[in-house]
Amino acid sequence: MEKVLISFAAALAIGLTAIATAWAQSRIGAAGAGTIAERPEMTGTVIILLAIPETMVILGFVVATMILYM
Amino acid sequence: MIVKMSKLEIIGPRELLLDVLAVIREQGVLHPEPEAHVFLAPEQRAVVHELMPDKNSAEEQLFLESMYSLTSEILELLPRVETRESRLDPSPILDTLAACAEKHLEQCRNWTEQRENMLREREEHERYALLLGTMGEMIGGHEGVEGLDFIGITLRDPSFVDRLRDLLAQLTEGEFTLTSALAPDGTLIGLIATSPAHSSHIKQILSDEQLPELPFPPALADLPLPERIRRVQHSIAAATQKIRDINSELESFARRWSPIYRRIDQWLEERLALLSAATVVQETDMCFVILGWARTDSLAPLAHVMTEHFDGSVVLEELQIKEQDLEQVPVVLRNPPYFRPFELFSRLLPLPRYASWDPTPFIGVFFPLFFGMMTGDAGYGLVLLAAALLVLYRKPAGMLADAARILLISSCFAILFGILFGEFFGEAGGRLLHLKTYLPERSHAVIPMLIFSIALGISHVVLGLVIGLISALRRHKQRKAAANIVTIGLIICLAALLTSLIHPSSWLHRRPVLVLAGLLIPLLILSGGLLAPLEFIKQIGNIVSYTRIMAIGLSSVLLANAANNLAGLTGDVILGTLAAIVLHTVAIILGTFAPTIHALRLHYVEFLSKFVEHGGKRFAPLHK
Repeated sequence: MEKVLISFAAALAIGLTAIATAWAQSRIGAAGAGTIAERPEMTGTVIILLAIPETMVILGFVVATMILYM
Repeated sequence: MIVKMSKLEIIGPRELLLDVLAVIREQGVLHPEPEAHVFLAPEQRAVVHELMPDKNSAEEQLFLESMYSLTSEILELLPRVETRESRLDPSPILDTLAACAEKHLEQCRNWTEQRENMLREREEHERYALLLGTMGEMIGGHEGVEGLDFIGITLRDPSFVDRLRDLLAQLTEGEFTLTSALAPDGTLIGLIATSPAHSSHIKQILSDEQLPELPFPPALADLPLPERIRRVQHSIAAATQKIRDINSELESFARRWSPIYRRIDQWLEERLALLSAATVVQETDMCFVILGWARTDSLAPLAHVMTEHFDGSVVLEELQIKEQDLEQVPVVLRNPPYFRPFELFSRLLPLPRYASWDPTPFIGVFFPLFFGMMTGDAGYGLVLLAAALLVLYRKPAGMLADAARILLISSCFAILFGILFGEFFGEAGGRLLHLKTYLPERSHAVIPMLIFSIALGISHVVLGLVIGLISALRRHKQRKAAANIVTIGLIICLAALLTSLIHPSSWLHRRPVLVLAGLLIPLLILSGGLLAPLEFIKQIGNIVSYTRIMAIGLSSVLLANAANNLAGLTGDVILGTLAAIVLHTVAIILGTFAPTIHALRLHYVEFLSKFVEHGGKRFAPLHK
C-alpha cells in the first residue's frame, strides 16, 4: 500500500506540473507564433518565453525523483 | 567577440562634402552617427548644427529623383537583352538626357500598351476558335442545322458542370447538349446547344447565376461556320504577327538604349544615395563635420585614403570614447572559424551592447557539451556526424552550412559522451560491443546523474555571475559587483550544505556554513536592494533547471532501450532490424531536437542573462 501511495505521489508531482506547463506553453506558443509571423526578429525572445514554464515540470520531475529514490 | 570600435570626426571645407562622402562610401567602413549632437559639448552646439540643404541642392535632389523614376520605368518596360556596358558620364548632359528619357518613356509605354491589347485580343480569339472548333465537332457535316442555337460560357469551377447540366435538363426537358473544354489559358469553357425557344430563358438563368456568356463578335454572326473559323484563325495570326513586330521593335530599342539607361540609372542611384548620406552631416559656417564610428583596424587605411584624395584639406581625427558614448557605439561581431557557426544561435537574440559580451564563444563552448551530455550515445552521434558530413559535402551556404557545422561539432561530443556512458544505440549496443563504461549507466544511476546535473548548473551559473561581476567592475557599478559577489557566496554555501547532506563528512560542518549564509543575506539586501532575496531564489531556480540535462538524457537512453526491446520482441531478424531502424530513427530525430532546444534555453535564460546586456546597435557603414 505504501508503495502505491509513493508511486501515486510521484505521479501527481510530475503530472500536475506537466499539465500546468502544457497550459502555459499553449498560451505562450499561440501568442509567440503570431508574434514571429509579424516580427521574425523576435524569434529568440519567443523561444525564451516559451521555455520559461518548463521549469515547473522540471521541478516536478526532480520532486518525483526524490519521492521515488530518496 | 565584439570588434573594437573607434569614434571618428572628419572635418573639411563644405565644398568638398560630396567628394568626401563619395570616398567614404567607396571605403565602406564609416558608420555615421545620426544623433551626433549628443557628442558635442554645449559650447560646440552653438556653432555646429545639422546640415541644411541650400536651394540648389534641394532642386538638384528633386530633379534627380524625377529622372530616376523615368529611367527606372524605362528599364522596367524594356526586355532584358545582352548588351555592352556603357561608360557614359551622364553629369554634363543631364538636361538633354532628361528630355530624351521623357520621349523614350512615352514610346515604350505605347509599345507596351499596344502589345497588351494585342495579347488580350489574341486570347479572346483563341477562345472563339475553341468554341467554334467544338461547335464544328458537334454539328459535323450538318452545316446550317436549323433550329439549333449555341451559347458559349466561361465556367468558374469544373464542379459547376454537373450542376449546370441538371439546371439545363430541367429548363429544356432534355433538349440540349453541354460540352466543356479547357482554353489555352486554363479557363474552362462550356458550349450549350439547344433550340431557339429555350435559348433566351437559358441566357437569363446564366446571367442570374453570374456565368459570363462568351458572345461571338457581331461581324462573325451571320457567316457560315467554316468562314467563321477561317476569320478567327486569321485574326489570331494577325495579332501574333503584330505582337512579334512590337517585341522586335522593343528588343532593338533595348539593344541600343538599355546600356545607356542602365548606366544613367546606376549613376543616379549613387548620386541620390550620396545626397541622402549628407543628411547625417553637421556643419559650421565654413566646414562640414562628420561624426561616426569605424572599426579600429580600418582606421589607418581610411586615414591614408583621405590624405591621398584630399591632400590634407580634410582632417580625420580619432576621439576618445567616453562612458556616456558607450550606448551609441555600433556593434560588429567577429569570431574565430570554430565559433563562427554558433553566431546562428546568437542572431536569435537581440544584438549585445558594445560594453557587454558577445554570447557566441560561450555558446560555442557549452552548447556542444550540453548536447553531448543529453544525447550521450556513440551510435546516434555517428549517425548525426554522417548527416552533418553529407550536408557539408554538398557545400551549402548560409544558415544550412552553419547548422551543419554545429551538428558536426555537437555529434563529436555525443560520440565522446556515448563512449563514456558505454552506449551505442542504447545500452544493449554498448554491452554487445563490450564498451567500457567510464560513467554510471544513465538508466539506473538516476540520483548520481541528478547530482551531477545540479553540480553542473551551479558551476555554469557561478561562471555567469563571475563574468557579470567582471562587467560590473569594468563599468564601475560597485553595488552590482557587490551583489554578484554575495550571490556567488550564498550559492557556494548552498552547494556546501547540499554536499554535507548527501555525503556527510568530518571536515564539512553545517553550522559554520549556515552562519556564513546568515551573514551574507543582510549583505545581499544591502547591495542588491529589497528584491535581492527574490533574485537569489530565481538563481536557485536557474540551477535546478539544469536537471533537464539528466531528464533529457534519461529519456534519450530509455527510448533507445525501448527501441531495442521492441525490436527483440518481433522474434524475426529482418522484421526486428526494420523495427529497430524505424524506432531508432524516431529516437535520433527526438534526440536531435530536444537537446538543441534545451541546451539553447539553458544558455538564453539561465546563463547569458547574468552578463549579456542586449540592445546594441548594428554597425551599418555607408557603402556603395
